[in-house]
Amino acid sequence: MGASPRQGRPPDSRSPEELPVPVPVLSAAPAAWLPALQLLRHGSKAVTRHWKAMHFQRQKLLALTEYLRPRPAVPPRCLPRHSPEEQQEDGYARVLQRQVEQTLRDSRMVAVCQYNSMPDEDVATLRHYLRKHNIHVKFVLNEVVRPVLAQSKYRNLLPLFVCRNILLVSPETRAREMLRVLKGVPQVNLLGACIDDTILSRQGVENFARLPSLEVSQGQTVAALSLLSSQTSSLLQRGPAHLTALLDEHIRQLRGTGGATEPPPGQSTGNH
Amino acid sequence: MWRWRLPGLLRVGGGPGGVAVPRAGLKKLALPPDYSGITIPEKPKLKFMDKVPAVPKVQREPRRLRDIRGPSQVATDFTQGQYGILALGGGYLHWGHFEMMRLSIGRSMDPKSMFAVWRVPAPRKPLTRKSLGHRMGGGKGPVERFVTAVRSGRLVLEVGGRCEFGEVQPFLARVAQKLPFPAVAVSRESLREMRWEEEQRRLDNQNPWTFERVVASNMLGMRKYLSPYDLRLKGRYWGKFFLRHRV
Repeated sequence: MGASPRQGRPPDSRSPEELPVPVPVLSAAPAAWLPALQLLRHGSKAVTRHWKAMHFQRQKLLALTEYLRPRPAVPPRCLPRHSPEEQQEDGYARVLQRQVEQTLRDSRMVAVCQYNSMPDEDVATLRHYLRKHNIHVKFVLNEVVRPVLAQSKYRNLLPLFVCRNILLVSPETRAREMLRVLKGVPQVNLLGACIDDTILSRQGVENFARLPSLEVSQGQTVAALSLLSSQTSSLLQRGPAHLTALLDEHIRQLRGTGGATEPPPGQSTGNH
Repeated sequence: MWRWRLPGLLRVGGGPGGVAVPRAGLKKLALPPDYSGITIPEKPKLKFMDKVPAVPKVQREPRRLRDIRGPSQVATDFTQGQYGILALGGGYLHWGHFEMMRLSIGRSMDPKSMFAVWRVPAPRKPLTRKSLGHRMGGGKGPVERFVTAVRSGRLVLEVGGRCEFGEVQPFLARVAQKLPFPAVAVSRESLREMRWEEEQRRLDNQNPWTFERVVASNMLGMRKYLSPYDLRLKGRYWGKFFLRHRV
C-alpha cells in the first residue's frame, strides 16, 4: 500500500548516520518473564519457505497494532498551497535582463507593440524596413522584462507587458517612419511608447509623428522671437527702398525712350 | 431550459489585467551532473564468484536458518557506488544467482563509464540434500551446494560511475526480480527517502497500541503466542519475510 504524501522532504544530509535516532518510548523494558509453556506442538520451524500460518492471537495483535495514518481536521488539500520558492535565479534570465537594461538605457525611443504570429519572411522584411530607419526590433519575454521594469523608471509601462510583445527601440525618435511601416503590418499593433522619457499612448505617438522635425521647429521659434526686430528694420528701410525703386523705374523709362535725354545729375541724388 | 453559456475559463473581456494567452516561458536549462569525483576501477565488471570455496568444508554444518531471519546488520549502506539492489526479504544466493547477476549486469552496463561491485561474499555455507526417493534416516545427506545467506535490508551489489539512475534502474530491476527474495533497485537518494518515510510513519502513527509496546510489557500475556525474537523484530519480520507495510 502506498504511503500518504508527507509535508516535508527528507533532511538533506550527506551522511546518513546524522538521521535523528528516535529515543524509544519504553527505554528500560522491564525484565519480562518468559512463559513457562511455549506453544510449539508440531509443525514447521520458525523460518520457512512458505508463509507460515500465524496463531490467531498473533493475527489479532497484528490487526490491532496496524498503522493509522494521521487525519487532520482540515485536509491539507483545503489549505493554501505553498508554491515552491525560486531556488535560484537562472543565469540565462539574468543575462537577458542585463541586455534589456542596456537596451533601455541606450535608446531614446522605446515602442511596445503586440505581436501576433507572422510568417518568418514577413518578420524579416519588417526588421529590414525598420532597420533602414535605425529602429531595432527586440523580442522580449515578459517574465524577463517585468522585474527589470519594476525597478527602473519605466514602471508605468508594466500593464503593457501582458501578452506576447516586441520592443522597437531606436536611438533617434522617428515615429513617422515607424508608424508608416507598422501600418502595413496588421499583425503588429502599437500599444504605447516611451519617447525621450515621456510615456505616450498610441494617439500620443500619432500626434508626435505629425509634429514637424526639430530643425524646422527651431527655425520657427527663432523666426517668432525675431519677428518684432525684423518688422522694425523693414519699417526703417521702407523710405529708402521706395526711393530706390522709383529711381530704377525712371532709369528704365529713360533708357526705353532711346537715351536721347541726358541722365539726371548725380548731385541731386547725393543731396538726399 | 438549456442556455448556451461560455465556459468559465474563457470570460468575455477577461479580467482586469486583460486576457493572458498561455504560452511557453524561458527554458530552464539544468546543469549537467557533476561526475568529477568518480573514478572507474580497473576491473569495472563484477568479479567471478566460485561455486565452491577454495577450501570446502568437509564437516557438514547444521541448517542455522536464523541467518536469514530478521534485519541485516552488515552492508546496509552504500560505500562505493551510487545505485544498488536492496534485499527486502531473507534468502540464500547460490552460484546460479551469482552467475545470472554477473552476466546480466556485465551485458547491460558500459564498462568505460560504469562499474559494479559485490556487497555479498562468495558462497560459503554448505547445504545438504538427501537423494531423491529414499526414506527418512541413514544420516545427513551429502553437501549439494554452497550458498550465501542474505538478510532483508542488505545491499546485494552496487553500481556506480558516470551514469544516472534512469539508465541503471531498468536492468537492475530486472535482475532484482529474478532473485529468490523480494528485491528492489535503489539509489542513494531513494534509499534515504525510503528510510525517512519509514521513520515518519513510525512517528506519526496515530495508533496508541504498537507491537513493540505490547510485547515489551507483555500485555494480555501476548508473549505466550509470540517468539522471544519478536522483542527484537517488533512485528516487522515473520520468518524470512519482511512486512513492509507494518510500522
